[in-house]
Amino acid sequence: MTHFNWWIDGSIIGLYLVATMVAGIMVRKYVGKVEHFLVAGREVDVYLGIASLAATEFGVVTCMYTAENGYRYGFAGATPGILMALAMCFVGVTGFCIDPLRQAGVMTIPELFEKRFGPRVRWAAGVVIVLGGLLNMGVFLRITGEFLVLVGGFDLSQMERNLLLMMTVLLLLGTIYTVVGGMLSVLVTDFLQFIVMSAGLLAVTALILMKIGWAPLAATVARQQGEGGFNPFLCQGMGWQYVLFNAIECMAGAITWQTTISRLLASKDARTGRRIYTRTSFFFACRFVLPGIWGIAALAVLTPGAFAGLPANFQEQNTSLYAMPLFLSQFVPVGLMGLLLAAMLAADMSTTSSYMITWASVIYNDVLAPLRKTPWSERRGLFWNRVIVSLIGGFLLFYGLWYPLKGDVYAYLLVTGTIYMASISTMLVACCYWKRANNWGATAAIVAGAVIPIACLVFEQLHAMTSQQVQLWRCYSGIGAFVATAVAMVVFSLLKPHADPPARADSEQVDGN
Amino acid sequence: MIAEHWFWWLLCVACVAWYSTITVYVAVRGCFEIRKMLARLKEDQPADDTALR
Repeated sequence: MTHFNWWIDGSIIGLYLVATMVAGIMVRKYVGKVEHFLVAGREVDVYLGIASLAATEFGVVTCMYTAENGYRYGFAGATPGILMALAMCFVGVTGFCIDPLRQAGVMTIPELFEKRFGPRVRWAAGVVIVLGGLLNMGVFLRITGEFLVLVGGFDLSQMERNLLLMMTVLLLLGTIYTVVGGMLSVLVTDFLQFIVMSAGLLAVTALILMKIGWAPLAATVARQQGEGGFNPFLCQGMGWQYVLFNAIECMAGAITWQTTISRLLASKDARTGRRIYTRTSFFFACRFVLPGIWGIAALAVLTPGAFAGLPANFQEQNTSLYAMPLFLSQFVPVGLMGLLLAAMLAADMSTTSSYMITWASVIYNDVLAPLRKTPWSERRGLFWNRVIVSLIGGFLLFYGLWYPLKGDVYAYLLVTGTIYMASISTMLVACCYWKRANNWGATAAIVAGAVIPIACLVFEQLHAMTSQQVQLWRCYSGIGAFVATAVAMVVFSLLKPHADPPARADSEQVDGN
Repeated sequence: MIAEHWFWWLLCVACVAWYSTITVYVAVRGCFEIRKMLARLKEDQPADDTALR
């Protein structure tokens, strides 16, 4: 029985939706160029950057998988957040990779690669980024829909119909303002969404800590998971493989994850970009710890019978994903429920819109534009960007409806992210700091980095594996992808003969940057 | 329980305290930055900008 009240909670949600849509659509008049649409004219300052980055990197899907980590692994489930915070802080303080990237004045990472590795590598890198990014984002909509259906008290016997309805509405809301205002609308709405999302997250966490208390939560973890609930190396389902894979992935994500990088590239200058990184770094720990507390609270409060109301096809899957929304639907009182759902809608809309504009920028800038002999006019460019954003929206709806998710969500996101992070992070480091890197090495890195994770995804669809086996399999394949990519980059770069005139010309051009 | 798992207790407290503070601070400073950003973008419109929208 949910505490959602259509009049009180519905009004809070309605107010939030109207404010967001109005703000998002109103700023469209400032979009006059493709650069405004894709990187907001590079006018982003520190605090808007922090709000936008935080709102983008926290969606309902984030809340679901971080709470699932709390439910399954206890406090140890927050380990990826701590690793990500350390990685962001390191990159922000040192400027590792992001300084040369921002100083190059590019709109996307593949654009930088063209200067060093040539146009073909740029195009291939664009394809890989889009492939990995869209597969990664493909599950967002469905999981968000599931959360809203469960917490909002919709009829669970009509789950698929309600999901379709919810996913379509969510997608339309985010797509409308992204299509008209691009990155500028995304930034302004991200700011509003950051405030609403933070208010909801903090209020629910405070309520849990006041009503249940930290000590009973810790006692539950100790009882259910033992020492492993506090130590990732001892935790069943995590272990050194999980920690190592996450450490590599977090570092790679900090320098190459396109939605994060797009804030850097939209910032006023390299120094502002670094400050955005440094000052947002601790948020990445918060985004695991706070929903992790929700997941642990679900573990403390829910009985096994709580899952009985879920539809049969949900019970065949991994039910730990649904523990947190089921718990919240019964725990959060009327009024706060409205704020919670508005916060989750804000989190979802900011993530969906940012991800759509980001992948659209790569498709436009690095996949389509290089195929044309003459560049598009600003007007044509804006038109095609809007078409691409709309098409991505359509893809999300269909992929969300038809892809059967196995194992835990976070592990799926890590593997799909690896499709491009392994190769692109290796190439970026080599591009910025290794003079012998060349297009042979880059091409080999792209192939190695994409083949292993894709093969892993196909393999797990074809073979029956337990959730635990899937988890381990994904960690090993992820680590393998990073190692293979680095080896491919070094070996093939060294194999290329020195006296290659075009490569030298490319190299000199970048060295000049 | 807190003494035994002080690291996680401290991390939870730090997250709630830091996030509450940064939300208020970013909300105030972000407003000014949006106004400045829109003002600068207004000056940076192409000559035939009406045709673009």
